[in-house]
Amino acid sequence: MTPAKKAKKKIEEKIFIPQEKLNEVLERLSKHFRVWVPVLSSSSNGWTVEFRPFTIESEPFFTRQSTMPPKSVILPQGETLFQYEYVKNSDDPSKQDLILKETINAEKTLVFGARPCDVRGFVICDWVFLRGLYLDVYYKSRRENTLFATLVCQDADDACFCSSVGGGPGDMEGSDIRITSTSEGFVLEGLNDRAKEVISLCECDPPSEEQSRDAQRIQEEAKNRIIGSLDVSGSVEAVKGQFQNMGVWRDIAESCLSCGVCTYVCPTCYCFTITDEIQGLKGERLRSWDSCMFHQYTQEASGHNPRPTKLERYRNRLGHKFCYFPLRYGGVIACCGCGRCIRSCPVSIDIRSAVERVKEVHSNACVCS
Amino acid sequence: MWNEITEKLHEVLRNVMPQVDVVLGWERGFNPLRIKPVVVRSEKDISRLVWNPFCVQNLTGYLVKNPAVIAGEGKKVAVCVKGCDSRSLVALIQEHFLDRDRLLIIGVPCQGTIDWRLVMKKIGNTTTVFNAHIEDGILRIEHSGGLEQMSIESVLLRRCLRCAYPNPVIYDVLIGETVTPRIDKSELYRNVAQFEQKSLEERRNFWIDVLSRCVRCYACRNACPLCICQDWCIAERRDPKWVTQRPTIKDIFIFHSIHALHLAGRCTECGECERVCPVGIPVMFIKEKLNEINLRLFSYEAGLDPQAVPPLLTFNPHEAGI
Repeated sequence: MTPAKKAKKKIEEKIFIPQEKLNEVLERLSKHFRVWVPVLSSSSNGWTVEFRPFTIESEPFFTRQSTMPPKSVILPQGETLFQYEYVKNSDDPSKQDLILKETINAEKTLVFGARPCDVRGFVICDWVFLRGLYLDVYYKSRRENTLFATLVCQDADDACFCSSVGGGPGDMEGSDIRITSTSEGFVLEGLNDRAKEVISLCECDPPSEEQSRDAQRIQEEAKNRIIGSLDVSGSVEAVKGQFQNMGVWRDIAESCLSCGVCTYVCPTCYCFTITDEIQGLKGERLRSWDSCMFHQYTQEASGHNPRPTKLERYRNRLGHKFCYFPLRYGGVIACCGCGRCIRSCPVSIDIRSAVERVKEVHSNACVCS
Repeated sequence: MWNEITEKLHEVLRNVMPQVDVVLGWERGFNPLRIKPVVVRSEKDISRLVWNPFCVQNLTGYLVKNPAVIAGEGKKVAVCVKGCDSRSLVALIQEHFLDRDRLLIIGVPCQGTIDWRLVMKKIGNTTTVFNAHIEDGILRIEHSGGLEQMSIESVLLRRCLRCAYPNPVIYDVLIGETVTPRIDKSELYRNVAQFEQKSLEERRNFWIDVLSRCVRCYACRNACPLCICQDWCIAERRDPKWVTQRPTIKDIFIFHSIHALHLAGRCTECGECERVCPVGIPVMFIKEKLNEINLRLFSYEAGLDPQAVPPLLTFNPHEAGI
């Protein structure tokens, strides 16, 4: 059960942070938490927004979805699993001992200003790392120590489709605090017991009646908005049925560059590789992001590669999210509808139309046979 | 105007269809600002193709990267190229990756291509972009938030603002009228010279700042038509292992250095590496410096003459300047 669900009924605490006081409040919070906020990258084309640890110079940026999701807060791009060192055995110099050093270090963390789709990404990853066959202690320790203050989303564009995959612009599953951005500032509401500490550390007044009404109106609007029109029903059967129909995968992915953009900007892509990075007698075992779009991802030691081209690789990415994952985890679609893979794809491949295409081909094939 | 040129493109392609059995072009993506590459194999699909300033992608990489788009025996591949893309073709022909005789090159003079991110920044957060219309250098966007106008110059990709070769340098058919280059060849490395006025410390900090955003998605590498190591890239080789998987600035810098050095004297400055970067790193800038050295030492510009041999692909002990 996700933390938000446990105590959904205890909604009481509500405060208002005036726009001009935001950095002051975040600075106060950062004495107790590692606070991550979305910021506009310096010296870029003025577009890239990333989550970075808050500093007093930070200018949090909330009016557009971040380019990179806050995935790395829980699943860092490179994570040391443990460190090791070979040393001479003092009793028998012909032998070597191995010294292992544990490196789990999960600080108390607050992600301020993620969006419902971003947090839904973690709710989906939980199935794999917390609720599946194996319990991942690294993921778990960070997940348990991280709170999400989530923005009610008012900024959908035409790549967004959160409502099609079980989310929505007002969805607070997995979140601890709801942030509603109004014209003058931010209304914060605790959604569970964990939120209380954060709310009280803010040292802010409750919202005025008008501010409360404003926030409520925005929340109501978000609740009623339907973002995206993809119908995912039947995707499991369609992908299974068209698995060997390479024609349809060629239509969809012939223009794919086989780069890792879609997987790295995706809040629900969690695949990793493990390497030993060693220099001399000291080293570390590193877990780092991997991408099913890469040739190396399925390269076998024999030299054989079961997914030799981008077509098989793209089929896997789509199949994983809309077929294999729901088959394994009770029908859950492994996509949060944030639209980042669509928006950031250098060749504008649209996973929504890809799913629709596979479904369409499948239903035509079924009618004929 | 763009509709007319698009129609002309369709007409030309219908005429040449007996010679070719596959066409590489562009079609509309999920909104009018987003165009995607498309491979057309039958005459009825020719009408899907478009040509306008949103056609950002360089399609020539598809001709060489696995699984490459190739023509059946005795047939040709028709490929649409802008000025910069045509230079990639020349480089690929020079290096014997492509056989000129198997190509039917449709050249399209280019007035510059548009960065959708800059457009979105100007129109704000909207639900839907309905229409994008370009006339006389003005882009008019109809979107759910209203109507917005902007000059094309204000939303061009950086590569286009410094383009000296907007007209295809190699083609079989040219569609549309040739255009005047935005800058003169002598100005190509103005930005490099300006950057070099800065102190070492400033330059170092600039690169640390921009490269620290790199997520090693390798889009810059995969979009580059001349990055031909493909699945055997040094960045991912494990045996021998040259680069670690750590996302630290040192490893990122090594990757980008290798990427750039492999293109020294070969890069045709199509700018795809930079355009595809999801986090806005000016990746091409590294290659501009290498090309500036290349021009100074060897008086050579990549991708102009199919008969020429790139300087680093030859060896001449009497070379002047070394």
